[in-house]
Amino acid sequence: MREHMIVVDLGYGDAGKGTVVDWLCAQGPVQAVVRFNGGAQAAHNVVLPDGRHHTFAQFGSGTLRGVPTHLSRFMVVDPLALASEATHLAGLGVPDPFGLLTVDRDALIATPYHAAAGRARELARGADRHGSCGMGIGATMAYALDHPGLGPTVGDCENPALLTRKLYALRETLGVAGPPVEDCVAAYRAFAERVILVDSSFTRALLRGHPVVFEGAQGVLLDEWHGFHPYTTWSTTTFANALALLDGVPAVRLGVLRTFTPRHGPGPLVTEDPELGGSEVHNTTGPWQGSFRAGHFDAVAHRYALAVAGGADALALTHLDAPVSRMCVSYDIGELPVGTAGDLDGQDRLTRRVLQARPRYADGVDDWPAAVADVLGVPVWLGSAGPTAADKARLSGAITLERV
Amino acid sequence: MGSGIWSTDVYAAAANYRAAKGTSAFAYSDSGARAVHDDLNPYGVAARESRDSAEHPATVAVAVLFDVTGSMGGVPRTLQTKLPDLLGLLLRKGYAADPQILFGAIGDATCDRAPLQIGQFESDNRMDEDLGKVLLEGGGGGQKSESYELAMYFMARHTTLDCFEKRGRRGYLFIIGDELPYPKVKRREVGKVIGDGLGRDVTTKEIVAELTRKYDVYYILPAGASYAGDRQVLTAWRELLGQNVLELDDLDAVCETIALTVGLGEDAISLDEGLSDLDDLGSPAGTAVGKALARLDRGTLVVTEGLDLGGDSGVVRL
Repeated sequence: MREHMIVVDLGYGDAGKGTVVDWLCAQGPVQAVVRFNGGAQAAHNVVLPDGRHHTFAQFGSGTLRGVPTHLSRFMVVDPLALASEATHLAGLGVPDPFGLLTVDRDALIATPYHAAAGRARELARGADRHGSCGMGIGATMAYALDHPGLGPTVGDCENPALLTRKLYALRETLGVAGPPVEDCVAAYRAFAERVILVDSSFTRALLRGHPVVFEGAQGVLLDEWHGFHPYTTWSTTTFANALALLDGVPAVRLGVLRTFTPRHGPGPLVTEDPELGGSEVHNTTGPWQGSFRAGHFDAVAHRYALAVAGGADALALTHLDAPVSRMCVSYDIGELPVGTAGDLDGQDRLTRRVLQARPRYADGVDDWPAAVADVLGVPVWLGSAGPTAADKARLSGAITLERV
Repeated sequence: MGSGIWSTDVYAAAANYRAAKGTSAFAYSDSGARAVHDDLNPYGVAARESRDSAEHPATVAVAVLFDVTGSMGGVPRTLQTKLPDLLGLLLRKGYAADPQILFGAIGDATCDRAPLQIGQFESDNRMDEDLGKVLLEGGGGGQKSESYELAMYFMARHTTLDCFEKRGRRGYLFIIGDELPYPKVKRREVGKVIGDGLGRDVTTKEIVAELTRKYDVYYILPAGASYAGDRQVLTAWRELLGQNVLELDDLDAVCETIALTVGLGEDAISLDEGLSDLDDLGSPAGTAVGKALARLDRGTLVVTEGLDLGGDSGVVRL
């Protein structure tokens, strides 16, 4: 692997970004894994051939191979969850997990106050829940947007006086309880003393070394602007943030898909089939986000995701070992149009149409890589037939980069 | 998508961070970092500045760059522990009124991840933080050359010194290493590492001539490095820097050697006075320092008087 790679899920998440990133990190020296969206709610499962397993939330999925992680300015960092994740990694034999980490000072932090506010809001929605993960990511973004300059950042953790003022204001504005501000400040200070904090120009230095893998979180169909509103996440889930960090440096845009289409929690899943999916060892029903659901491979939804993301250079297709042979090739309502970013009313109307849509299926699919490449018009570069890197194989030759 | 499976308990988090082993003086390198720290990256830097201020009205710029490639063995690590003493030593004995110190590291632009790392001139112990951010490279090829010329290019063209511009006093530049510079500052490497567009390669001789107008430049070859005592290395550097090439037997004496060199250059002391200062301070470094600096003890300044910007190198070849 000689090019920088951006790994993005072209569905609703859960397609296997973690295992793909782990495989990429096993192919040769990787400078770092960079996270560029979402926060601690990510859950990327990696299983090593020796059976060790970790659910990556903020650490990059190359950590078990010793690859450093950089949390970019687009991340919502949760230093508290980071500490318990590091403890688990240390238990798996990673010598100094914090030493493998650099964090951009400009990244926002999610605090227990944000989490409390997010949960209160989701509870108030009752049956109309949006499928929040209960980590306060949405509340963090909302507060930072509503109160410019007042959202606590990673850099504030180095400045206890400023951080204290911001946390008191935050707790009061959100009207929530939670642990005493001083205790939070103490934990955030310990975080800032232990983890290397850097400025945004750090990314530029990273890109001059070995290839960098940009690990996306969630999926394009959950994108804040182009997902099926309101069942979306508070983050840009396309290649856009990674491309902004790359600032013109070329990279391969790798889309990840399963041979069937899963989703967590409420919202459209046109091809849903309760018979599908079977048992998912690592994808269980979360207390906040709702149940794990599965549907047949939805080419229409994935074509929409590709259009939203501006295309991809190659695909990684996981779950080639799953006993599935049915593919949705069209909807009765036709293709899904890409709306204007920011037009949430338009997205809301789209969601209502999608909820009514009926899938048209093709049956008897056996060569999944060929079939997927055919319906999406993007070559399938990597195939996966099991949980570990050893279960993956390159299916096509070098990727041709579309140089803009 | 996930569900946040990792605990966000604030007390457990604080305890976990504190329990994790503390950051060492070489935090950055030991952390598994593989790229130059932002703060030390020379790329796109217009100039590192040594400036006077109300608090420090008569600054003297002192830059210390050391080779961090594999041939240096454990030397860079020892330097990282010793160099923080330098400021105190300069101040305690009044060798320089307002020293401003910059630390940097030299690698090999032909193969290293960190061919050049350059901190800031600082008047207080903030330069120690730069020291902690130095990535110890440990690479370098087997060609007995490292990119010293690239470092000298940066110092010549990308530093601004008030001591020089306002008072016509050169700063001090110490290069600690054990190999040869490449014969040319290569246009391509300058573009890649520093970001300058050069029309052509510049010979190392030319860059030394430019550099020595602004700095008294010293090369220190320490014991413990692969090429300690190497005649070829010493001869090559003496051709470039004349008598300002020092051999140092005892690495523990590096700060004393630098401090006394500055003291001699500033005409604050003679070598004997300096060595007796070291005794007063309880430093055991006297013998090593005396031996290293014997060549410099002429009781007078080694450098030419005043400024001669149009002329050649400022080094007087005795």
